[in-house]
Amino acid sequence: MSLFDKFAPLQNRVDLVTKLINKDPLGVKFDDIMSPTRGRIGNREIILSGTNNYLGLTFDEDCMDAAKAAIDAHGTGTTGSRVANGTYTEHTQLEEALADHFGMPSCIVFSTGYQTNLAAISGLTNENDIIFMDADAHACIIDGTRLTGASTIRFRHNSPEDLDKRMSRVKDKKGDFFVIIEGLYSMFGDIAPIDEFLDVTHKHGGYLYIDEAHSYGVFGPTGCGLAEEQGVMDRVDFIAGTFSKSLASIGGFCVSKHPEFEIARKVMRPYLFTASPTPSNISAALAAVGKIRTRGDLRENITARAAQLHKGLADLGYDLCADPSPVIAARRPNEAICAMEWNWLLENGIYVNIAVPPGTPQSSSLLRISISAAHTEDDVNQIIAKFAELKDKQGELMADMMKLAG
Amino acid sequence: MPQQEEIFTKVCELLKPYNPENRPITLQSGIVSDLEVDSVAVFDLVMGLEDHYDVSIPMEMVSDIKTVGELCAAIKQLAEA
Repeated sequence: MSLFDKFAPLQNRVDLVTKLINKDPLGVKFDDIMSPTRGRIGNREIILSGTNNYLGLTFDEDCMDAAKAAIDAHGTGTTGSRVANGTYTEHTQLEEALADHFGMPSCIVFSTGYQTNLAAISGLTNENDIIFMDADAHACIIDGTRLTGASTIRFRHNSPEDLDKRMSRVKDKKGDFFVIIEGLYSMFGDIAPIDEFLDVTHKHGGYLYIDEAHSYGVFGPTGCGLAEEQGVMDRVDFIAGTFSKSLASIGGFCVSKHPEFEIARKVMRPYLFTASPTPSNISAALAAVGKIRTRGDLRENITARAAQLHKGLADLGYDLCADPSPVIAARRPNEAICAMEWNWLLENGIYVNIAVPPGTPQSSSLLRISISAAHTEDDVNQIIAKFAELKDKQGELMADMMKLAG
Repeated sequence: MPQQEEIFTKVCELLKPYNPENRPITLQSGIVSDLEVDSVAVFDLVMGLEDHYDVSIPMEMVSDIKTVGELCAAIKQLAEA
């Protein structure tokens, strides 16, 4: 027996895919990234269509200048936790800027988006509380629930009625109800009916926590996300987000309408026991918050490009998982076909994500695209053209698969 | 109160869509290890059982359940509580 024997089934799965496409789809390496929408692998230029770079701000001059200036002023790393030596002026400025953007009294900044959910969920709940979590919640939400003593009950995806039923089923409530949803779901690209979730949650005296990782910057008149878009932001208890998508950096945040949230800084282990984000990450994100508040044109472009791509793929007959949004996912018949198609797209200049169970809802195998405000109409036409060509290649790919798998 | 046998029949019925190869199901079958139901699908299966028996089966309890028999026993215990 070896420590690694337990990975044998997984290794077999990886080996099969590697045999089919001659590479590990989770091991892609870019030789260069030239812009928010272009990368290079070897001599091949790639249209980046799966990077969650929704507003394309990674190469924004003001964001890059802010990051460079922060390095010049304060060095490359903080080497300490937020509660030790790792809180600089930049960190508090960013917290103030985000709190102001959301019009909420409290904001805490974390080192990654993943850690934001780990910290907030585990810090805000204890063994007396009950968490209700959407069935399609991201892994970091699930992991957050594992770090707390609270019981966690899953409800059917995007169903306030189902949440209501499950909250009503609890008879011996000792602590509080804590309901977790996302704004835009990262795999299917579907959107939560936040107003209905607020009604149900508050009817049962609970708190609503929304992860707007994929919707901050993209939705709402000032880019606060889907709660703002749906006109209910002032009723939401907690909104979490990440810096690694629209904010073009790395880190995360949670804002709250409850000023008492500040005390959680003293108990959230993924906040206490990790180094704070670097000055350059924070300064880039701070510059990006300013862009998000003012650059409605970026939101207009991403909405138009998402609609264009969605229509193009739907016209080709692809089975898309949701209405148009910056995340557009096409269901494929199984993991092997999905991997072959993903590889063909990459070898023909289009990078999308391959998403397979158990990381996907309904055990789906998906070709997942995230569109960017930096994509042009022509970029999207090129993506659609490649998906059209892929459709024509399906017989050939299937024959290759049978031969290789045989 | 539901009897173990009735619960087992219901579990088998709900497992059907996740068991396309029609592997034989016994109380000793490992849900993930033998039937190869993926971890997310197990939670979907549990939601169906929660609704049928009008009980709450918290995720932390599901994580400790490995076999079909353990799942049936957990439902019986919760339904009787």
